[in-house]
Amino acid sequence: MASAYNPIYTDVPEKDVFALHFLQTLSNLRTQNSFSSPDNKTSDRVKKIKKAAYVSMARAAGGTNRLWSRSLLHQAAKRNNKNVRFLRRKRRVTWLMRRRSNRGDPIEDVAAERLRNLVPGGGGMETSKLMEETAHYIKCLSMQVKVMQCLVDGLSPK
Amino acid sequence: MDLSVLERVKWLQQQQMVSPEFFEILGSDGREELKRVESYLGNNNDEWQSFRHYETIDGCISRTSSFQMEQVKNNEENRATALQHKRKTEGKTEKIENKKNKKIKTEDETESSMKGKSNMSNSETSSEIQKRDYIHVRARRGEATDRHSLAERARREKLSKKMKCLQDIVPGCNKVTGKAGMLDEIINYVQSLQQQVEFLSMKLSVLNPELDYHINELSTKQFQACFTDLPEAVSKQSMMVDASSFPLQHQESLDYSVINSIQTTTLGSKDQTSSGWEIHSQSLYNNLRTDSDSSFFSLK
Repeated sequence: MASAYNPIYTDVPEKDVFALHFLQTLSNLRTQNSFSSPDNKTSDRVKKIKKAAYVSMARAAGGTNRLWSRSLLHQAAKRNNKNVRFLRRKRRVTWLMRRRSNRGDPIEDVAAERLRNLVPGGGGMETSKLMEETAHYIKCLSMQVKVMQCLVDGLSPK
Repeated sequence: MDLSVLERVKWLQQQQMVSPEFFEILGSDGREELKRVESYLGNNNDEWQSFRHYETIDGCISRTSSFQMEQVKNNEENRATALQHKRKTEGKTEKIENKKNKKIKTEDETESSMKGKSNMSNSETSSEIQKRDYIHVRARRGEATDRHSLAERARREKLSKKMKCLQDIVPGCNKVTGKAGMLDEIINYVQSLQQQVEFLSMKLSVLNPELDYHINELSTKQFQACFTDLPEAVSKQSMMVDASSFPLQHQESLDYSVINSIQTTTLGSKDQTSSGWEIHSQSLYNNLRTDSDSSFFSLK
């Protein structure tokens, strides 16, 4: 499996990198609001941890090289009211969508729509590019799940 | 003309119409097949002569199919017919071809031999016109040969190639066939992964107080382990190799380079805390490493 030829470039860094980034973002979270309100509602905390998980995954997996990670980081930055970048992407989106509507294979289009809703940043991509992004996204997601599982197992009372 | 099919291929090769790879593709058994086919068709001169009188390609096809024997495999048979047609249609279609940008050769093919044919045609056409850099696509019989449908077909083939790669990644995708089923499987897999992340983050939030307690020394311990104790790092590397299931490139270099860049910024501030919590963090660190094996099996 390690030597399988994959025309899509989907190499994902090791688990250590993911673990590192995840712990870093968690510690950032902790330093951000440790003294403000220690009794957070669980739903808020869950959301924060989830967001931290996704952001750390995006950063670990390739920063701004990948489309999905870029859009994830973009969303997170927007929520924090930081500067919004990559505005000029909107132009390309409309052109691509017009081109896509002309030749549509109905079977794959419906499923591709659903996939686009799932994978972040999938709105403005051709179907073939979407497949690459999905492959990379799946690999990174499973890495992230493994890291979190390890952490939970390590911290849970024995 | 009394040339056998084989000799014709050699003649073509001499004329540098056919690349030598094409000849190898035929292989030794291919040549035998050619000889067999030729014997079926008979070495009658008048048979060959009558072929040449046929104007349309369709006529030739109907002619040759009558000679088809059951033992002859589809591939070789069509390859032989391709040879003949190539010889015949060369003179006619040369002018037409030169006008078109994409090199399209309309011939009859069965669906099964499509792939082998396209490879051969690619090598043929690419050797014929060396300087052109276009995608050589072969149109199937009965299909339109205008640019749009060809581009559409090329796009579809690219897509199917990528779907095959996805099939390798997503487990359990081999059983379902067809684009729609596979796409559904992939969507379900992505959804399940996202749900897992959410579930685990819920779990983590419950354990959060402990996490805050451990997180500091855990990160410092990781940093230290990577740089101070090289043998420990090496053993960690070997364990990671066992646990990981993805094809990874440059494991060590990526690992250390990333940690290298982060280490300089954070290690200075956290040095004083590390000594006190060493035993605790060591156990947690080991858990993180050894748990990788168990979780690897559980998540699979």
